[in-house]
Amino acid sequence: MTGETQVQGLAIETRGLAKKFGSQTAVNGIDLMVPRGSVFGFLGPNGSGKTTSIRMLLGLSLATSGTISVLGQSMPARLHEVLPHVGALVEGPAFYPFLSGAANLRRLDTADRFAPRGTRRARVQGALERVGLSHAADKKVHAYSLGMKQRLGIANALLLPRELLVLDEPTNGLDPQGTREVRSLVHSLAAEGTTVFVSSHLLAEVEQMCTHAAVMSAGSLVAQGTLAQLRQVGESRVHLRTPDAAGALRVLTHLGLDPVLATSDAADEVVIALLGDTNWQPEAIVTALVAGGVRIRGFAIEEPSLEERFVALTGEGFDVVQ
Amino acid sequence: MKLVSRNSLGWLPALVVPAVVVAAVIAVPFQAGATVDLPSKTPEQVLALVNDSTVSAFSGTVEQSADLGLPSLDLSAGMSDSMSKALPESTDGAIPLGMTTALELLSGSHEFRLYVGGESQSRVQIKDHMAERDIVHNGSDVWLYDSSTNAAIHLSLDLEASAQAKSAELKSQLPTDLANPAELAEHFLDELDPSTTVSVGTDARIAGRNVYQLVFTPRTNETLKTDTLVASVSIAVDSATGLPLQVTVLAQGQTAPAVQVGFTAIDFAAPNAGLFDFTPPATATVTEQAMPSPTEGATGDQPGDHSPAADEVPVVTGAGWSTIVEVPAAAMPAEVTDNPLLDQLTTTVDGGRALTTSLVTVFLSNDGRVFTGAVPLAALQAAAE
Amino acid sequence: MSSSEFLPQTQTHTRARVGGWDLLGSEISVLFRRRRTWAMLAAVALIPTLLAVAVRLSSSTLDPGEGPPFLDRVSQNGLFVGFTAMVVAIPLFLPLTIGVVAGDTIAGEASLGTLRYLLVAPTGRVRLLLIKYAGAALFCLVATLTLTVSGALIGAALFPVGPVTLLSGDTISVTESLWRSLLVAAYVTVSLLGLSMIGLFISTLTDVPVGAMAATIVVSVVAQLLDVIPQLDWLHPWLFSHYWLGFADLLRQPLDLGSFGQNAIVQVCYVAVFGALAYSRFVTKDILS
Ligand SMILES: Nc1ncnc2c1ncn2[C@@H]1O[C@H](COP(=O)(O)OP(=O)(O)O)[C@@H](O)[C@H]1O
Ligand SMILES: [Mg+2]
Repeated sequence: MTGETQVQGLAIETRGLAKKFGSQTAVNGIDLMVPRGSVFGFLGPNGSGKTTSIRMLLGLSLATSGTISVLGQSMPARLHEVLPHVGALVEGPAFYPFLSGAANLRRLDTADRFAPRGTRRARVQGALERVGLSHAADKKVHAYSLGMKQRLGIANALLLPRELLVLDEPTNGLDPQGTREVRSLVHSLAAEGTTVFVSSHLLAEVEQMCTHAAVMSAGSLVAQGTLAQLRQVGESRVHLRTPDAAGALRVLTHLGLDPVLATSDAADEVVIALLGDTNWQPEAIVTALVAGGVRIRGFAIEEPSLEERFVALTGEGFDVVQ
Repeated sequence: MKLVSRNSLGWLPALVVPAVVVAAVIAVPFQAGATVDLPSKTPEQVLALVNDSTVSAFSGTVEQSADLGLPSLDLSAGMSDSMSKALPESTDGAIPLGMTTALELLSGSHEFRLYVGGESQSRVQIKDHMAERDIVHNGSDVWLYDSSTNAAIHLSLDLEASAQAKSAELKSQLPTDLANPAELAEHFLDELDPSTTVSVGTDARIAGRNVYQLVFTPRTNETLKTDTLVASVSIAVDSATGLPLQVTVLAQGQTAPAVQVGFTAIDFAAPNAGLFDFTPPATATVTEQAMPSPTEGATGDQPGDHSPAADEVPVVTGAGWSTIVEVPAAAMPAEVTDNPLLDQLTTTVDGGRALTTSLVTVFLSNDGRVFTGAVPLAALQAAAE
Repeated sequence: MSSSEFLPQTQTHTRARVGGWDLLGSEISVLFRRRRTWAMLAAVALIPTLLAVAVRLSSSTLDPGEGPPFLDRVSQNGLFVGFTAMVVAIPLFLPLTIGVVAGDTIAGEASLGTLRYLLVAPTGRVRLLLIKYAGAALFCLVATLTLTVSGALIGAALFPVGPVTLLSGDTISVTESLWRSLLVAAYVTVSLLGLSMIGLFISTLTDVPVGAMAATIVVSVVAQLLDVIPQLDWLHPWLFSHYWLGFADLLRQPLDLGSFGQNAIVQVCYVAVFGALAYSRFVTKDILS
């Protein structure tokens, strides 16, 4: 990603972006590159610095060092030119509990000097409809469930057509149905040409929603690119189920692989071997095994999964549920 | 304004604005006293300016302050009960108002509004906390009104007798003099004698007016050496109208003025005549009071009466700045000499008790006589012997 | 990348400003729609009501000068209720309500989390400060007017109404006394502007609104304490609370606007100094709430 056109085509670009809280480094010199038009997953475990980075991107807090450019303009210097084109959900939704959902959106809309007054009611109505909250528009927010607040927070980001949406953990607190709705919402926004920058600690969510991703770990950016690029980094491997483990290990070693005995269930044992840079075709391996007298109950070549990749990048504690 | 860096200009206003405000707060009073350059005048010319002054109607705000080094006592509270009983006129309540007010003026600072509509029309408003005391003089009527008690006193001057004399008598009992720099200045000008050097000090600005400063200093040469606590008296004279606008009395060895009375604002337009036409509020308690004549002898059965018996006439010794007034023991009402406040105020000295302030000394000799003057205690003690 | 037509898009076109100061209207409506605001205004209105009812119910009449200023006159003229209530409310009660409103301005938004959404809307930080201050100042006006109007109404309901005696002993008509009441309300409103700005500044220091409210109220109490310490008399004319009771000058004849002016100057100084501090603090603040 060095070409002039591509750099100009970045919706978000940071160089050496860092934030320290006292002596603690929350964000450690990250170089984010979010192409325009992408759905960009900003993935990382809790406390890895995602929200802190987003606050800096939006001019809420000041970087300790590094530069930020959003929609081609430097932040926070050109904040007033940039932010009208950005919709955001940061660190969860926040509203006036004593106002209704619609009144909350109207209030936040008046804060945007570029939001026309004449269309305000209609836009609020439209945004509520888009997140499926029309029925609760006149309910006070203190009576909203967490999921409803989350939807309202997304609606707030959608009050005007945006070039960039920054959504910090948008599916937190949503039920599976809500999660699916958010996903399809993101897809439809992306189809309209909006760049969506979505942070999450859930791998599955990113895999299903995004075209690009970056992985944060303890304040550092450890990987970045399209999902395909990220997957390519891993290795394919042989997954063999057999009652003759000793023979299998011998044959595979002979082929130049480095097999290990993995789990064993009641009758069968599982042998795993990374293919590495050997160019063995699956049928050749099976032929060799059969020739070596190994009974094959199951055989597969496993493609690398993002999950393993992220576990490798961010450590075992990674929350990869669902 | 967007988020800016801590080390950028964001913090500049937090430093600059308070600095500018503090500088302005300090500089404005200095600027008010900025140098004024009036055409030079000799002291005689300034005195002539005062004498030729034709101002008879004006209004203004007066600030009076006294720093006599008195122990801080609640004079008004201590005096109003016991002192009022000590005075023969106290039955009607007229004097306590004047008396406590005058005593109050000896400490701290006070603000008045003064309206003068001519020779026989004046109104003094003493601004109190959430209250006000008014002294309205209009021809033969004098009204005293105190809003804190909602009480009014009406004094009628008998116009058939010498109105001037009664007016003077009245004034001597009211704090009007102290509230009016012009009248206070008149006292000093009346007292001019050879023991005084008169000079013209630096020109200044008082109440927004350019003023000449007449400075009266007790003569200190060997032949006419005066023994007084007064360092100097300055009178600020309005250069345009000749009206004295401020009187400042400096005491020996004290930089802050011992007494200062001056206008902080003045307007030479005649005040609205309606101001002197006082009608007490319908809800007020009104006391009618005829002024006692200054020449009539009293009946004599009241204690501490002012009838001029020989042994009760005050004796004046010395002259000019070092004048000493001796009040014979018989003239002092017991209520005054027995007042516990007196013990608080005075200290025991050789031959009696004394109250020393930066400007005035009072000496109560053991035989009951009282000496007072703007002189050191030793001079009073010498006079007592 | 699928949508290559977005790649060459380098310049974001600037949107036209349309909203202007809509946020001010929104701020005012949010402030005055809160139940807390109504409760405080109701409590403010309760002061003259309690005073008037107590005077009405008590059998003994007050001696002149007894009780708070003007209370002894209330039973003769209901129009004094407002003045007495003002004297009673100024030292603690009005600063308390101002402390709540001004202390809540920024810290309240921060604690709700709405501050970050207002700022990314985007509301300029300076604009937000100005709007918050305008809201607090408007509350000062509404609170003093509430006191004045409720005082006049309850006074008129329970007592006779007639010409009013001023401190100078002169009497003015009912109409003029109402005009002077409004002038007193204006005076008291101006008196509270400095404290409002102090509250706004304190509110930028914290994300805990009750902390900012309490600190603002404490500041007003401390200022009044300092005002009675004689050793600090050089400081007294520059305390924001020094002229708070100076509205008595509006009840003299002729009308004395001197302390109105002095009070205004002192308040302007505080607004300038604490406005600058609030500005500097807020434009450099990391919004982490
Ligand atoms: N206001 C703050 N003060 C100090 N440390 C903070 C603050 N906010 C976040 N951090 C620290 O910064 C790190 C990153 O936090 P955050 O960006 O919120 O993580 P994420 O959003 O990825 O869960 C954490 O270690 C957190 O403790
Ligand atoms: Mg987070």
